[in-house]
Amino acid sequence: MNNIEIKLKDLVKDLFAGEKIDVLIGYENGSLPLRSRPCFVHSAGEVDRLVWNSYCTNNLAVYLPRIFQRQEHKKEETPPPRVGIIAKGCDARSVVGLLKENQVIKENIIVIGMPCSGMIDPAKVEAALDGAGPYSCQGEVDGSLEVTTSSGEKKRLKREEVTAEACLECSHPLAEGADLQIEGEPKEACDERYEKIREFEAKSTEERWQSFVKEISKCIRCYACRQACPNCYCKICFVDQTKPRWIGASDELSNVMIYHIGRIFHQAGRCVECDACVHACPMDIDLRLFTQKLVKDVKELFDYVPGLSVEELPPLWTFKQDDSQSFITEP
Amino acid sequence: MLQGLIKKEDLKKLIASVKKEGTFYGLIRGSEGLSLSELGPDDEVTLDYSNFKMPPKRQFFPFSEVICTYEDESMTDLPLSEEKAVIFGVRPCDALSLLYLDKIFIDEKFTDPYYRSRRDNSLIISLACREPLKTCFCTSVGASPAGKKGADILAFEVKDSLLFEACSEKGTRFMENYPAIFKKPGKADIKARDEEVSAAEKRVQTIDLSGITEKLQGCFDSPLWEEISQRCLGCGVCTYTCPTCHCFGLYDEKVELKGRRIRVQDSCMFPSFTLEASGHNPRTSNEERMRQRIMHKFRYTVENFEDIFCVGCGRCISNCPVNMDIRETLAEVIK
Ligand code: SF4
Ligand code: SF4
Ligand code: SF4
Ligand code: SF4
Repeated sequence: MNNIEIKLKDLVKDLFAGEKIDVLIGYENGSLPLRSRPCFVHSAGEVDRLVWNSYCTNNLAVYLPRIFQRQEHKKEETPPPRVGIIAKGCDARSVVGLLKENQVIKENIIVIGMPCSGMIDPAKVEAALDGAGPYSCQGEVDGSLEVTTSSGEKKRLKREEVTAEACLECSHPLAEGADLQIEGEPKEACDERYEKIREFEAKSTEERWQSFVKEISKCIRCYACRQACPNCYCKICFVDQTKPRWIGASDELSNVMIYHIGRIFHQAGRCVECDACVHACPMDIDLRLFTQKLVKDVKELFDYVPGLSVEELPPLWTFKQDDSQSFITEP
Repeated sequence: MLQGLIKKEDLKKLIASVKKEGTFYGLIRGSEGLSLSELGPDDEVTLDYSNFKMPPKRQFFPFSEVICTYEDESMTDLPLSEEKAVIFGVRPCDALSLLYLDKIFIDEKFTDPYYRSRRDNSLIISLACREPLKTCFCTSVGASPAGKKGADILAFEVKDSLLFEACSEKGTRFMENYPAIFKKPGKADIKARDEEVSAAEKRVQTIDLSGITEKLQGCFDSPLWEEISQRCLGCGVCTYTCPTCHCFGLYDEKVELKGRRIRVQDSCMFPSFTLEASGHNPRTSNEERMRQRIMHKFRYTVENFEDIFCVGCGRCISNCPVNMDIRETLAEVIK
């Protein structure tokens, strides 16, 4: 057990002992190599399930609106729970967004910030192993993961080569506004980002359109990207509405496109670049490119970075006389 | 049982011959990863893979298809598929899944003509597995790395060749059609094949499913479902990528009296799956939806069709964004 994990468990045990929380959302060991997964801990006795390692990829903030949006029939029996949540930099920024949008009860949550050193992306591991998942992992030696493939071959994967894109480009690895902080060494913040976006921007309108079409034509419209995103808490997503029906049911490109354009634009000024959508997508679609383009635009046009302050009003809520209008006429 | 040996490089010849009468589908690694695609003799068929992402059900039960169009009083069914297809490289677990889908779509009382025409017109050549994945558990649910169920021909990789073995009349006829392509395998080839098969079988992880259906019959109201389903995101990836999931919805798209009816895959993991016209939804929570998925595969289908509708391919495990592992879920139920 690593140091951080010990500190974390002690802290959570104290929270339960002091009756500060009813449930803690954290990570436990997964059933597959290089995977940890979300878990819900309800008492001090269960705290030992918790883990903290390089495989805690999921954004846990996605569960918060659900916990508070409980079913009607349950609401009367019990008051809303008091929730502790383990937060990497990105999870914490999502919590800030949810607070700002009134989706969680501020008094009922305790955010525990983790010093995040970047997470492993299972899809990159799979790609490095020619499309097959690892059969087992022998651990990390000298910055490399030692894994065995299903054919019994041993391979070394350099950590930075299988680190999630979101983590490589992370600008806020530390959960700054967290209520409690686990001390440790987070990774360095990355400020040289957007290289891919600049490449994208340099293309002609036609080329940009083609690359958008190429990417989304892989989509099977499962909406896992929406389900994994903490920002997508709408009770009925626009694609599921029937009166009126905004979007056709078939997999024709125009339908897929409406969904994606809708989803991407609903993330403007809200997306924290955690890549929960990218990791959830079974078709390995590069959703990051499109939402990140909006992140960059919002920063450049409105000087706004989402998820950093609960008080700061997001650009889509405000109208200033000197707001940039350039995007209205320029494609 | 007809057997024939073909050099891997001679697959091209087989593809060229098949192409004269129909389409040859096989696996290629393209820019979008590994997928079942229409092949020409110049394409490089991939044999080096564990399994592919989208199950073969997509060939027969596409994600979405228009089934009829209408205008005023008249309605026109869409023509049935007449494409003759050879589908090469399906894994034995997935071949078995097609027999389960047949039970749904080719029923004595109700037959789905679209599904049926595609099934009748295709020939399945399975490729036996050599390297089971961490997520495979086929041998616990009636499939196996060299299982023949659902295949017309089962192929094995033996060094630089493929050993074809007919498993159905259709498969025998197919092989007899190409006498120049298949050579008679030697004793050593058969021996090498047998060794590979038993090694692969041993490597598949097993789970104990004895009594699962009876257990499920007694746990409809168990608190277990809430516990299990807590971290589920309700994304439906487990059902969209499952080779046996077959639920669909019908949608009409029309303007005044002109329109079309589309069939689209649906999933019991979506709230809209059970949404009634009145606006009422009888299945409102994640836990009820998770219960439905497990109950349907391991209890209702056993009650209705005498089969567990799971072939142990592990797609629902490897594709789930929060690592829900159906093997653990079943173990919880049995406990
Ligand atoms: S998760 Fe991927 S496949 Fe599913 S709807 Fe989103 S982009 Fe499409
Ligand atoms: S893939 Fe996983 S998260 Fe998605 S619906 Fe299935 S079990 Fe739930
Ligand atoms: S339930 Fe899971 S393991 Fe079973 S057939 Fe479906 S995807 Fe494969
Ligand atoms: S009810 Fe659910 S588990 Fe059963 S076939 Fe339909 S989608 Fe699959």
